[in-house]
Amino acid sequence: MREFEINLEPLSANATLVRVVGWLDAHTFEFMEQTINNLYGKGMVRLAIDLSEVEYISSAGAGVFIGSLSGAHERGGNIVLMNPTEPVKEVFDMLGLSQVFTFADSKKAAAAALASAK
Amino acid sequence: MAPLHVSDRIEVEAKTQNLQKVREFLHAAIKRSALPTGDINKVVLAVDEAVANTIQHGYHGREDGTVEVQIEADAGKFTVRIIDSGDPYDSAKGVAGKADLDLKNHIAAGSKRGLGLFIMRKVMDEVSYQSRDGSKNVLTLTKYIKAPGA
Repeated sequence: MREFEINLEPLSANATLVRVVGWLDAHTFEFMEQTINNLYGKGMVRLAIDLSEVEYISSAGAGVFIGSLSGAHERGGNIVLMNPTEPVKEVFDMLGLSQVFTFADSKKAAAAALASAK
Repeated sequence: MAPLHVSDRIEVEAKTQNLQKVREFLHAAIKRSALPTGDINKVVLAVDEAVANTIQHGYHGREDGTVEVQIEADAGKFTVRIIDSGDPYDSAKGVAGKADLDLKNHIAAGSKRGLGLFIMRKVMDEVSYQSRDGSKNVLTLTKYIKAPGA
């Protein structure tokens, strides 16, 4: 099984799809954080993050999204989360993040949500 | 009928790459216990947070130490002890201080601190910490098991 992997691909003219695979824990969160910061550094601030292959997330992983969301807003962008698995959704619910983030169930819906980012 | 008493332990080097090994050990131990299936992921998460805190704050990223996770479970409760020889990490103070963490404002401010402790307290029924000079630090997490139909 793949421990952790991130793949990037264009979602639309100004948005990026970030596919995450594996465990997002206190060991792997820095790689996730670094990836998002690198994207911000290149001016890519509209991100759809596909969580459909993330089997586990801890507070370290969730914390990356909390910090990155405010970072995206500061830069006029946004983050949309796609298709979290049940264990991931459970942690988001526990931390009240399900009310904070925008969720989408398809690339089309994510692109539409990101197009309206200010 | 599943045996109700479970006693097991694992000791790993204080490296975050060992967290998955600890989670797998916990999954297996919990399945042998009387803890309801619906609590498995939550208890694994709470213990993962505790072990990660120990590695990151107790050992400050030093990888020469070890973390021991002990499990004792019976029909009434599931107890996990996390034992380390790192610097005492003042979890006791944190446990008391973060009891009323205003999560919504915390998150709105983009802050990530204290989330692990929040999860530990939310999931487990008891969280206690003991550190003695020159001895080991012990963080104890307990989840009570309700009798079916109770």
